[in-house]
Amino acid sequence: MGDVVVSMKGICKSFPGVKALDNVNFELRAGEVMALLGENGAGKSTLMKVLSGVYTRDSGSLTIFGKEYGDLTPNTARDAGIAIIHQELNMCSHLTVAENMFLGREFKSHFVLKNAEMEQEARKYLDELGVDISPRQIVGDLPVSKQQMIEIAKALSVQAKVLIMDEPTSALTSREIEELFNIIRRLKSQGHGIVYISHRLEELSHIADRITIMRDGQYITDGKYTDFTMDEIIANMVGREIKEKFPRVECEKGKKIFEVKNLNAGRLVRDINFSLYEGEIVGFAGLMGAGRTETTRAIFGVDPRESGQFFLEGREIIINGPKDAIRSGIVLAPEDRKKDGLCTKLSVRHNIALPNLDMICNKFGVLNSSKEEKYCNEAVKNLSIKTPNLDVDANTLSGGNQQKVVVGKWLVRNSRVVIFDEPTRGIDVGAKVEIYHLMNQLKKQGIAVMFVSSEMPEVMGIADRIIVMCDGRITGELNAKETTQNEILSFATAFEKKITGEDTGNGGN
Amino acid sequence: MEGKKQSIVSRLLEIKGMRAALTAFIGLIVIYVAFGLMNRQVFSTQNILNLLRSMSKYLLIGVGQSFVMITGNIDLSIGSVVGMSAMISATLMSHGMNPFLAILITILCGLIAGVVNGYLVGKFKLPPFIATLGTMFVTRGIAYIVNGNRNTDNIASGIGKEAGDAFQNFFYYAKVLGVFNTFWIALVVFVVFFFLLAKTQTGRHIYAIGSNVDAARLSGVDVVWTTTKAYLVSAFCSVVVGLILSAQAGMGNMDAGNMYEMYGVAAGVIGGVSPMGGAGLLLGTFAGAAVWQTLENGLNMVHAQVGIQRIVIGVIVVLAVMLDVILRSGNRKPKSK
Repeated sequence: MGDVVVSMKGICKSFPGVKALDNVNFELRAGEVMALLGENGAGKSTLMKVLSGVYTRDSGSLTIFGKEYGDLTPNTARDAGIAIIHQELNMCSHLTVAENMFLGREFKSHFVLKNAEMEQEARKYLDELGVDISPRQIVGDLPVSKQQMIEIAKALSVQAKVLIMDEPTSALTSREIEELFNIIRRLKSQGHGIVYISHRLEELSHIADRITIMRDGQYITDGKYTDFTMDEIIANMVGREIKEKFPRVECEKGKKIFEVKNLNAGRLVRDINFSLYEGEIVGFAGLMGAGRTETTRAIFGVDPRESGQFFLEGREIIINGPKDAIRSGIVLAPEDRKKDGLCTKLSVRHNIALPNLDMICNKFGVLNSSKEEKYCNEAVKNLSIKTPNLDVDANTLSGGNQQKVVVGKWLVRNSRVVIFDEPTRGIDVGAKVEIYHLMNQLKKQGIAVMFVSSEMPEVMGIADRIIVMCDGRITGELNAKETTQNEILSFATAFEKKITGEDTGNGGN
Repeated sequence: MEGKKQSIVSRLLEIKGMRAALTAFIGLIVIYVAFGLMNRQVFSTQNILNLLRSMSKYLLIGVGQSFVMITGNIDLSIGSVVGMSAMISATLMSHGMNPFLAILITILCGLIAGVVNGYLVGKFKLPPFIATLGTMFVTRGIAYIVNGNRNTDNIASGIGKEAGDAFQNFFYYAKVLGVFNTFWIALVVFVVFFFLLAKTQTGRHIYAIGSNVDAARLSGVDVVWTTTKAYLVSAFCSVVVGLILSAQAGMGNMDAGNMYEMYGVAAGVIGGVSPMGGAGLLLGTFAGAAVWQTLENGLNMVHAQVGIQRIVIGVIVVLAVMLDVILRSGNRKPKSK
């Protein structure tokens, strides 16, 4: 094990309304793979963004190769030898490998590019990694795994000594993962320090030397990977006991309202079967990219599906688009409110009215303003949306109130099934509780509530039944009152085996 | 809600896009008065009547283009559809077809262009600039082909002097209540589409897809059909302008309507219609068309060269949008009352 190359002590970082990092310590040594672990929102990415200069820390000290840095910028971080390989690769897909590697620092003599030299240089670093890619190939023609290698080669070409990899395996096949791991081992043996962020805990035994665990923006523990059992790791990641924070109402579970049978839609929705009942909230838990959002979109008819049947109160219904779903009484409050939920340039009134125009307009499609006013005022009152009036643009409201508009526009109708996709993301605690109350209210009214959330305590606190998804499949169904976070997490990480067990060396210590 | 206590004026001002529209009206008055002071003829009744008639074309084009712009798209085929309509109607009439039937056929042909635009953009997701560039060339080509690559004869030669005069008078030369028919026709079309945009489900859907097409789709809006409707409105307005032009000339001109799509963009933009979609009022388009025509008219009256006219108009369009951008960035934060 080598010298300490990165040392972060007491790092704090706040965003408006959120303390994203609270006194975090982190240490990386040369020639090791440090796995940075934690749930979604634990602060892993934020910490690494501080290290790579994307965010400036509020307080704390940051030492790289023995040199103390004040406010890092992306450029100083790069010069200090830090490189980050993002989850979504940042490549110009129409350019060649060499062009991408030297983008912004092209070799040239008197305005003329020296392509041959750049290609030669690119080949040198690709060879160093032992990957067989021609520097002249167009990046967009290469598979993601190869693009990732190019990113790594690019990092090496700027003399990076510390590589941060954020979920590098999420889009790779098992063979490609093997290749990546070989490269990581090679880099390690050359003395590079590697920070490895992954949700796939089963990968750790193949690659991690040490681990650092974070939770809620705080440093929890670190140590040698072999000193922890998997249960300990999960317990440290999950930690808290805050069920009581969530208001729960008890209802009699009634008759079946909605059933989904054999739903298939792309890679992330595979053979989904479940039912929703009167008087219960069904939580959908899982890691990011588990296919929960895709499932809601397939049900709502936004994305095309390969197969699947829907039954509403025993009768089969055909959903070929959101319009059909809405008419049948199924509504969706989508995940990304800026992208899918709100018309930000339109007023609160127009946003709330939009999906309900069929009720507001007469049979000739002419708007009835007083009816509209009535529905909108009801929505604003029921959800206590804080807005100066109905005519302000939706994007002038706070995040929580915007979310209430997204939800509120659906509650004007008499729906039978309400699907919430991450309804509390990015909103403050008070607004969260209001959304919970709203879901409870729907539950009491006998409306089936499907609730997708990545925050486990929330799912456990609000849902009656929890369906866990992983990699596009339903991997478990649990009673919220009896389950534990560890149990959910183990289902949420129940990936189909991607890695063969042949190389069990945990990093070659 | 505190809205009830506010005066009518401040409530009007709260309507989105109203400020931009009113600004354009104020600009209109300033420009008109300024030219009037330079040449008293500008204030003459005759000039006002001419102004109203000439602005009608820009108003119609502006309404069509505004509909499309509010959906976040653009229609480059407007001018060509105008030319095609002028040629089809004049060709049919100069060959003796009943004017009513000729008008009906012309409208149908124009609407087909609108449906094609709507489907290319809405259904096949072509960039609107490219899709309507294509239909622009095709419809202009049709304008050339219908009468064998030449302008038509006088329509009276086919349907007789009486019917020919009736057609020309109806669309261009006759007056009702002392104002030229052309303006009344444009006004009726304007009012109908104003109502459609402001007071109906279709109008709301048009704003919604212009603001956020994903959110609109997830709210159950039929994006393809709504886009098509906007292009249909644009095509219909173009057809009416085509008929006006063939009535004005008494014949069909293959190059009629050249560049009109851009006049439509200018009218809308001066009146505060956002080329990015989601915002704008037809009232603003009305003001924009009037500003446009008043400028053209006024510059003529003060004997400015054509080159100077173009430059002034170009500068005004850019200034109008710049003003809008500046006002908006200044108004980004909600005012606390």
